[in-house]
Amino acid sequence: MLEAQGLSFSIAGFSLLRDIDLRVEPGKVTAIIGPNGAGKTSLLRLLTGEQRPTAGNIALSGQPLGDWSPTQLASVMAVLPQSSRLDFPFTAREVVMMGRIPHATGLVRDTAIVDAALAAVDGSYLDKRFYTHMSGGEKQRVQLARVLAQIWEPVADHARVLILDEPTSSFDLAHQQLTIANMRSFAAQGVGVLVVIHDLNMAARCADQLLVLSCGRIAACGSPQQVLTAMTIKQVFNVDVSIGINPLTGTPLVIA
Amino acid sequence: MHRLPPRAFMVVALVLLVLAVLLGLLVGPVQIAPVKLLTLWSADQDMDGRVLELIRLPRVLLAALVGACLASCGAVMQGLFRNPLADPSLIGVSSGASVGASCVIFFGGFGFLGSGLGLPAIAIGAFLGGMAATAVVYRLATSVTGTSVSTMLLAGIAITALAGAVTSLFSFFADNEMLRRISLWQMGNLDSASWHRVMVIAAVVIPLVLVLPREGRALNAMLLGESEARHLGIGVEQLKRRLIVLTALGVGVAVAVSGVVAFVGLIVPHLVRLLIGPDHRYLIPGSALLGAVLLLLADTGARTLMSPAELPTGVITALLGAPFFVALLLRQRRDLVS
Repeated sequence: MLEAQGLSFSIAGFSLLRDIDLRVEPGKVTAIIGPNGAGKTSLLRLLTGEQRPTAGNIALSGQPLGDWSPTQLASVMAVLPQSSRLDFPFTAREVVMMGRIPHATGLVRDTAIVDAALAAVDGSYLDKRFYTHMSGGEKQRVQLARVLAQIWEPVADHARVLILDEPTSSFDLAHQQLTIANMRSFAAQGVGVLVVIHDLNMAARCADQLLVLSCGRIAACGSPQQVLTAMTIKQVFNVDVSIGINPLTGTPLVIA
Repeated sequence: MHRLPPRAFMVVALVLLVLAVLLGLLVGPVQIAPVKLLTLWSADQDMDGRVLELIRLPRVLLAALVGACLASCGAVMQGLFRNPLADPSLIGVSSGASVGASCVIFFGGFGFLGSGLGLPAIAIGAFLGGMAATAVVYRLATSVTGTSVSTMLLAGIAITALAGAVTSLFSFFADNEMLRRISLWQMGNLDSASWHRVMVIAAVVIPLVLVLPREGRALNAMLLGESEARHLGIGVEQLKRRLIVLTALGVGVAVAVSGVVAFVGLIVPHLVRLLIGPDHRYLIPGSALLGAVLLLLADTGARTLMSPAELPTGVITALLGAPFFVALLLRQRRDLVS
């Protein structure tokens, strides 16, 4: 389990995050929503160990994040940043194979995992194609397959964590659904999934727990039913909405 | 694009290297019959045999080692900068190294340089100069999203201009002997090849070419982005520091023995990437082999084209490299537009 307590973060005296408590529980999908500039990406940078919080603690499986060696951490925590630039003509297979760098499972096992990860994002046909020649959505799928491959199987029963920053921003409807299915299936294996997402209805569909960030603070936290109310959305996004029920999934449906 | 299997490419490159060495040994102002190769290091040498042993062989080895060094350092730099247009001579590393070298020549005085310590001292100066230049360009040009080509090239121009001014200043105060030595660094040249120089560069390049491919996997991850590499468990800061030191060492020593030979570090990794793909585990050794072949051929050309006069080798590589670089720039711009 990834657990943060009392996180605060400021840069040059400017406070970006204040008093954040957060638990990414194994087997659950936690989604962070909030307006632009609310501190969502900053929060991810703290939780992945890329930046140190000004105050507060982060622990993974009970051990402070700073005590994990880089390779150890990489073998159980995979992070997909918002956008990745890669100007070199690697094939999709080579990019996904990089996800196996933290592991020493051998080429045969790694190849099987890369095949499965590419298939999971509907990218098997991209296998030998060059990354530099792909569309935006295809690139994003290959990057997603790379992070899935990174934590494809458990390492010595350690809890695994998957962190995704807006993974569906350039996906069509079918691939959005596929990504939700992937997050759910990783959660079903006991992986703790944390995702930053802009589309409130997507968040309602994929998450067990929603966390609303506003101006660097937690404005609301709980199940989608508890959090996605007309009042909260008015407070945080300053938009009038009405809330219905998605007839297919039974989750809240935000109608703006 | 169809790729060659890396092993097949290495075999072909090795065969090419052997052929280029033979060509370099036998062709020149004096054509030498292949039989004379058998008299190398034997007691009963004629004139041709001595030309081979004392002039041709060190020169050929020097060209091969400098080529291997510049090409593999170029490949590493392009990975480090996450940009296929980085090259030691374009981004100012070679100029920085040549300032370091001129400093040692100028302040070291000639008497000191006459001794056997002269060349290693110049090499250390070149290494320090090259490292300072790499660090400055890296700081200026690299951000979270990658390296800006324009900033990188502009930083290169600034450093080259500064280096030119410093070198001119030294030239102004230098006496004749120093002047001759300093001017050698502005024009890549292999004509002062000697066994002493071969030893100095071999001592650096051979370990370098063996060590650099070990960073291949980490460099591949770096191409995804610094934070992506960090999330894959790579110690990014240490890796960058190590690579900056190693490439500055390689380029510094190459500059110390042969001056600024431009574009080898740009052309060769590009060709190799086209042939076998961008995986650094193969790209670095492949570039080393092909770099040796390319510089050998360029140097053989430099010795024979205007025979008996000799062109500086750097002139040949620049004549080949500059159009190549422009073509790459055009292609990159087209990719950005489309």
